[in-house]
Amino acid sequence: MQYLLQLLISGLAIGAIYGLIAMGFAVIYKSTGLVNFAQGEMTMITAYIAWTISTTVSGNVVVVAFGAILAAILLGLVIERVVMRPMLGEPVFATVMVTIGLAVILRSAINFIWDAYPHGLDVGMGRDIVRLGGIGVRTGQIAVIATLLSLLAAIWAFFRYSKMGVAMRAVAADDRTALLMGISATRVHALAWAASSVIAGIGGVFFALSYDLSPAMFQLGLKAFPATILGGLDAVLGSGLGGLLIGITENLAGGYLGSGMKEIAGFAMIIVVLMIRPFGIFGERDIERV
Amino acid sequence: MRDHLRTASLLLTATLLAGGGALAADPGITDTEILIGDVEPLTGPPALLGVAASIGHKIAIAEANNAGGINGRKIKYVLEDDGYVTARTIQGAKKLIEVDKVFAMLGMSGSGQSIAVMPVLEKAGIPTVIDVAPVKLLWEPPRKNVFVVGQSYEEGIIHLVNYLAEKNPGKKWGLITQDDDYGITVRDGFDSVVKSKKLNVVYSGNYKKGQQDFSSDMLQLKDSGAEVFLAGGIIAENIAMMKELEKLNVKPVTGIFWPGRVEPVLKLMGPAGDGIFAVDYVEPFAGEAGKAFLEKAKPLVSEAEFKGINRYTMSGYAAAKVLIAAIERCGKQPTWACTIGELEKTKNVETGVMAPISFGPGIRFSNQKLQIMQADTATVSFKPVK
Repeated sequence: MQYLLQLLISGLAIGAIYGLIAMGFAVIYKSTGLVNFAQGEMTMITAYIAWTISTTVSGNVVVVAFGAILAAILLGLVIERVVMRPMLGEPVFATVMVTIGLAVILRSAINFIWDAYPHGLDVGMGRDIVRLGGIGVRTGQIAVIATLLSLLAAIWAFFRYSKMGVAMRAVAADDRTALLMGISATRVHALAWAASSVIAGIGGVFFALSYDLSPAMFQLGLKAFPATILGGLDAVLGSGLGGLLIGITENLAGGYLGSGMKEIAGFAMIIVVLMIRPFGIFGERDIERV
Repeated sequence: MRDHLRTASLLLTATLLAGGGALAADPGITDTEILIGDVEPLTGPPALLGVAASIGHKIAIAEANNAGGINGRKIKYVLEDDGYVTARTIQGAKKLIEVDKVFAMLGMSGSGQSIAVMPVLEKAGIPTVIDVAPVKLLWEPPRKNVFVVGQSYEEGIIHLVNYLAEKNPGKKWGLITQDDDYGITVRDGFDSVVKSKKLNVVYSGNYKKGQQDFSSDMLQLKDSGAEVFLAGGIIAENIAMMKELEKLNVKPVTGIFWPGRVEPVLKLMGPAGDGIFAVDYVEPFAGEAGKAFLEKAKPLVSEAEFKGINRYTMSGYAAAKVLIAAIERCGKQPTWACTIGELEKTKNVETGVMAPISFGPGIRFSNQKLQIMQADTATVSFKPVK
């Protein structure tokens, strides 16, 4: 029983990180109809900036968190304004290719700006181990699960009740009609990129806190993408939950079927789910897949 | 008319022969300069080894240049980035040979990359000393112009497992390896000792390259009751494994391999990494030789480069020293043939960072002596085990 519980808790912890990054994918898709293949790299850049703040400005958790969120907003806005906005109206394939190019550039930037060594993000908390009935878990892992759940609630409220949330849904549903209703699509797109960068960046910072920071961190994006597909490419909340499902499935497969099964379990799961619900567990039926 | 043409062609031939020193010489060498080329991963996660190795080459080159160069010629180092992508390694090597026209080559990226680039090097016949990833396919069969400084991965693992087995008789063993050529080599070395020493292996895992979360793998290891553990990760994987074990409150006797024997890794492992064993053929920085090397390197590289020094810097330095010494022994007019001949005659060359290096007729692998080290987290260093 303890073995199973340990697998579940570890699965939830890594799944929460996948979930946050997956929500980043979904926010952009929902608002712009675009799959951002640079999501993992944006996550990594935010985590590296958080580390730089912690080592050069202050290791205080509030300073690091505030600085990282600000940096993530800026990163999202700059990418939207400089790279994505000129692509408005261009074929989806070309725009997706631009995000792939962006991913390669951001990945290489790590070595140019920082280095290839792994680093630990130390903010004075998050690394301690708590033992709950013999089950070991790091405080950072508990925090990331709590953060994901809080964000799920906040985002649900945002899309449901806020004016901007409704505007984003309107643009996603029909950007021309939304335009006629006085909604600025470019403003919505900019907000989506900033929000996506922050949400995924939070995932990256928690990953760096619980594990470490390395130039291989962008691969988290590859693990989070199936979570988005599983939850529904246009379902922000569903993507978050999809992350948790992928994390748990991976860990159970790794724990009971062997190490080799861990990495493929999540993908096997999405194949099965997509055969039954091609639009994902929480996705809407009428979506265009890329 | 015909006589005039004959006279002119004879004169032209004589002129070419008279001034022939420069024209007949091998590429990459002028009256003032010798070009040495290198392809390394300078971007992406493997840059950890590629950048460090190139710093080692730069240190040896700077040292030689400060001493007047090779028989009066300054060495110019031309470095290409392959991003750890095999196609780019081949492209980089071809560019260095055909466009930059270098005189000799160093480094040559990771194991897969250096194996792939071998036909290019062999066809060109350029003197090459490989130092980053010594794997058997690079020296078996021996290639006339390609020399390898280091020790094979397989021998390294055998040495480490033998040591741990001798110190921990009758214990239960666990192993995890990466699902690639590196992992296969580690597993082959491990299996050979398991067979000969009849080790009791209770856990054997295989993870996918790029895996970052090892919670279920380490839980399986704990559940198996393994008391001695060979962590077959490279860099970040070993850190993640050790931190998971710490979380699970278990501390088996652990051995790691030299690609991960870099001090920042130890720092990130924290207390979880204390006392882990490692095997290597280059000296630890905590030893006298390591300290002396750092002292030597400090004035020769930039502050950023100095921070990037790790064990690969030492192997790169040793390889460059051997190559430079061989070119130097060829005198005022070094050629590829002479350099290859002198590399072959390399006998007990002291570099200060590893055991003396030797090659020989038909021997293209230096077969370095291995040593066991143990991590000390208090000083964030690896210390030799006596």
